Amino acid sequence: MRSISVNMPLKRYFSLIFILFIAFPAFAQNTFSLSGTIRDASTGETLIGATIKIIGPSSVGTQTNAYGYYALKQVAGNYVVSISYAGYVTVTKSIILNKNIKLDQEIKSANNLSEITISASDRKNENVKSAQMGLERVDMKALNNVPVLLGEKDILKTIQLLPGVKSGGEGNTGFYVRGGAADQNLIILDEAVVYNSSHLLGFFSTFNADAIKDVSLYKGGMPAQYGGRLSSVLDVKMDDGNNKEFKFQGGIGLIASRLKAEGPIVKDRGSFMVSFRRTYIDLFLRASPDSSINGSTLNFYDINAKLNYKIDDKNTIYLSGYFGKDNIGIKDLFENNWGNTTTTIRLNHIFNARLFSNTSLIYNDYSYTVKLLSDVSNFKATSLVRDFNLKQDFQYFSNKHILRFGLNATHHRISPIAITSSQSSQVNNLMQEKRYGLESAVYVSDEWNVSDKLNFLYGMRFSAFSLLGPGNFKTYDDKNNITSSSAVESGVFYKNYFNLEPRFSVSYLFNEQNSIKASYNRNTQNIHILTNATSSSPTDQYVLSSNNIKPEIADQVALGFFKNLKENTYELSAEVYYKWLQNQIDYKNAAQLLANSNLESELLYGVGRAYGLELFFKKKFGKLNGWVGYTLSKTERKFDKINDGNYFPSRQDRTHDFSFVGIYNLSKRWTFSSSLIYSTGNAVTYPAGKYVIGGQINYYYTERNAGRMPYTMRLDLSATLEGKNKGKFQSSWNFGVYNALARKNPYSIEFINDENNPQKTVAQQTSLFGIIPSITWNFKF
Amino acid sequence: MNKLIILVFFVLSLSACKKIIQIDLNNAKPVLVIEGNIDDIFGIQQIKISKTNALDGDDVFPKISGATVKVTDNLGNVNVFTEASPGVYNKTMKGIVGRTYSLAVGFAGQTYIASSTMPKKVVLDSIGILKVNLFGKDRKNLVAYFKDPIDDVNFYRYYMYVNRNLVRNIYVSNDRLTNGNAIRQQFFYSSDDVDQLKTGDKVYLEMLNIDSNIFDYWYSLSQQVDRGPNQNATPSNPSSNITGGALGYFSAQTYQLDSLTVK
Repeated sequence: MRSISVNMPLKRYFSLIFILFIAFPAFAQNTFSLSGTIRDASTGETLIGATIKIIGPSSVGTQTNAYGYYALKQVAGNYVVSISYAGYVTVTKSIILNKNIKLDQEIKSANNLSEITISASDRKNENVKSAQMGLERVDMKALNNVPVLLGEKDILKTIQLLPGVKSGGEGNTGFYVRGGAADQNLIILDEAVVYNSSHLLGFFSTFNADAIKDVSLYKGGMPAQYGGRLSSVLDVKMDDGNNKEFKFQGGIGLIASRLKAEGPIVKDRGSFMVSFRRTYIDLFLRASPDSSINGSTLNFYDINAKLNYKIDDKNTIYLSGYFGKDNIGIKDLFENNWGNTTTTIRLNHIFNARLFSNTSLIYNDYSYTVKLLSDVSNFKATSLVRDFNLKQDFQYFSNKHILRFGLNATHHRISPIAITSSQSSQVNNLMQEKRYGLESAVYVSDEWNVSDKLNFLYGMRFSAFSLLGPGNFKTYDDKNNITSSSAVESGVFYKNYFNLEPRFSVSYLFNEQNSIKASYNRNTQNIHILTNATSSSPTDQYVLSSNNIKPEIADQVALGFFKNLKENTYELSAEVYYKWLQNQIDYKNAAQLLANSNLESELLYGVGRAYGLELFFKKKFGKLNGWVGYTLSKTERKFDKINDGNYFPSRQDRTHDFSFVGIYNLSKRWTFSSSLIYSTGNAVTYPAGKYVIGGQINYYYTERNAGRMPYTMRLDLSATLEGKNKGKFQSSWNFGVYNALARKNPYSIEFINDENNPQKTVAQQTSLFGIIPSITWNFKF
Repeated sequence: MNKLIILVFFVLSLSACKKIIQIDLNNAKPVLVIEGNIDDIFGIQQIKISKTNALDGDDVFPKISGATVKVTDNLGNVNVFTEASPGVYNKTMKGIVGRTYSLAVGFAGQTYIASSTMPKKVVLDSIGILKVNLFGKDRKNLVAYFKDPIDDVNFYRYYMYVNRNLVRNIYVSNDRLTNGNAIRQQFFYSSDDVDQLKTGDKVYLEMLNIDSNIFDYWYSLSQQVDRGPNQNATPSNPSSNITGGALGYFSAQTYQLDSLTVK
């Protein structure tokens, strides 16, 4: 059995990790711990990734975790402790370490606008030193300055400006990381999976930037605590809320308005945050004199809310949630709505200064409804994916190690589609069988600071997936005929998959400014989106691994060179990666993916490979800051029944991708910014001939995705004017110009007969956006 | 989905823009195209054989003369087709519901083989005109009425002609979601405002019952909206039921015709 062959090396690996860990015990001398939580002095928000150092003959340092907590150990003595964080005034304190000390520290924001938007933050040379590769953190404070479509600041569009991350299309929040597919990104909001991260068919993301505290994107080298998707992890954390005073902020834009309120429940112990956003495009629709337009619907809204309460010094509880909905409708004809819900309850518990625990109970769902209102073919179709998730994470802080271990169990339920119709409708009722799955994992990892020069981050994730009954599970032959069917009862583990996912990263520092890093990691994925459209759609189908669909597997190796210049003002990096993909999914000709009980018969399975070079140059400080990114890459897939079984480029295979972001702080009040992108066109299938069938001209295709769309280039500009300080009330204006060069970038290409010469075929390109100006007013009090 | 995106743009008043562009294309070697239909009406049955043309060539397609064309049914009856005009092979005969017909085409030392079973005929009760209001404009759409049989899996192909011109859309349906019901099948003439049915138009509708392979063939062609790379499925050649490397299809199908004049 597979599980046995997997178990043996697993045991050996875990014992190896523990032996390594135990091999470096505390010294016999008296050592004491320093631990606590680091917060913002004005809001009381915990700070993630703040640096704490005990300076002495042998300095030790660490960073705060996702909850602002840190712990260090040092030999008894007199020391200076320094606490620093990007954009904050560094605090130094003298301590006498003759017992275990708890040091909760609040630090002040430097309020310096020249901090850069997307950065590994002011962690000194953390980008050079840490063994972590492929990590990008988005600084929410400066996100405001990156120009975006219609002035709606958006984390998903901003990360698309980073090397290795490709946009899902113009104005689209979908993204591809290092050659992966759009459904291979793990997108989590306060640990809850967000299945559909787009509003309005992809033009806006579900993340309201007002409510977001921290965004980390892992393109590679995923730490062992994350799992379940192949390509990337986008870990989004919501604001906790100000625990000192009540604050309001909001904005009025062309498309949407936002309002956020936060404040203490019990001062310094607990706080709340609630943020609301809604579009008002349909208000314009209502103004139309045309009765069928003013009866149309087109809007979305979302709510983020969070509560936290510090029960005592050892226990803090967090409750957070998100609810969002999109509505599209044409009067008397058609209605479509969709949205995500997430709820997370978390308990932080400090067992002792060095053992930190977090327990999370998570609920999340994604659902959509389509209604056709026409008289004879009316129906209502609904679909739901929902998860219950239990996570237990431990962090153990030792002198040179941070040990993380934990477990995770997620119960999935997918209700693919349920169609109900009226008696008079010609559409029949249809209830597709629900699917149940249990995804569980245990992991252990160690961040080991071997010496000033050598760091390891290594671990192992053991993941299991079980397809659960009840259900009728079928197998199919080549011609989509059912070859067997087994009716399975509730509670039966019908099909089990076990996978070992090693994660390994190492960094070696030549000196404080230069390092090389290498990593290898394996990821697996058991929930898949089936869509043969190239853009995300609200009606995308989710399926679990099954007797037909095997878990997707990705192995990635990466090697990088990191260099900082001028006291870490400039960061330079070069990373190369190679990725092998197994059990990738594509579709047979004429595949019908929606409302198909034999959906799994329509699938093809193949392999993929992706490789590339990413160059990144960033200026972090100064009046002028920003970055330049360049990616040279290739991503291909191979299926026996497609393209004669040869490798073909994935649609998102773009050879060159270039991005530039520049932010210039002219004065205390004016900030100007611009972004410029260039990318090779998508790989597409062009016809190689034409013929007549059914009395019509049709096109003959040979190689899959052997053609190229024209390249895309776009310059966006924005300017922010801070209002004059009027006591507590602050306001700012943001002006933007999207596509300032008015380039007609390709969205799609179709082949039509030439108007002037109907015997000839010509290619016609559709572009979506011309120049789009925007204006937004933001306020805070 | 594309229609939804266009709707979003329509209301955002962000006009999408179209232009003709130059693209470097590779022209493939020409391949054989076979289009064969056998229906249940006694008369001339036709198999057409042509070749693909280069994309930058004219819409003129080489006709293939001198092929041998034979259709055999599952009872062993052999029908030899003769070339009536270049590339057009005829035989006066009638197909029978339930029989499986096998096509064998021989040309240039190659043999191309296909088979298709003629499905049951679903009676077309009537056709009519339905007025639909879309974005404040009244449109007239052709509809067909029939009763889908509950005991069979049925596949339909329709051809619509307006004033004797074949409408470009590929109309195809099955009863996966509508099995056993009284069906009102609607035919959207055109997505733009230029071509709409108007009073006085003479409209013909052909309704065919086809087998499942042929449904897949037309369905995948119809999925390739505008037949170029767009946000929909990656275009590819629809899977043909003809073996030997030819494009096209061979279909044994039932045939009905109805017509009306738009009032």
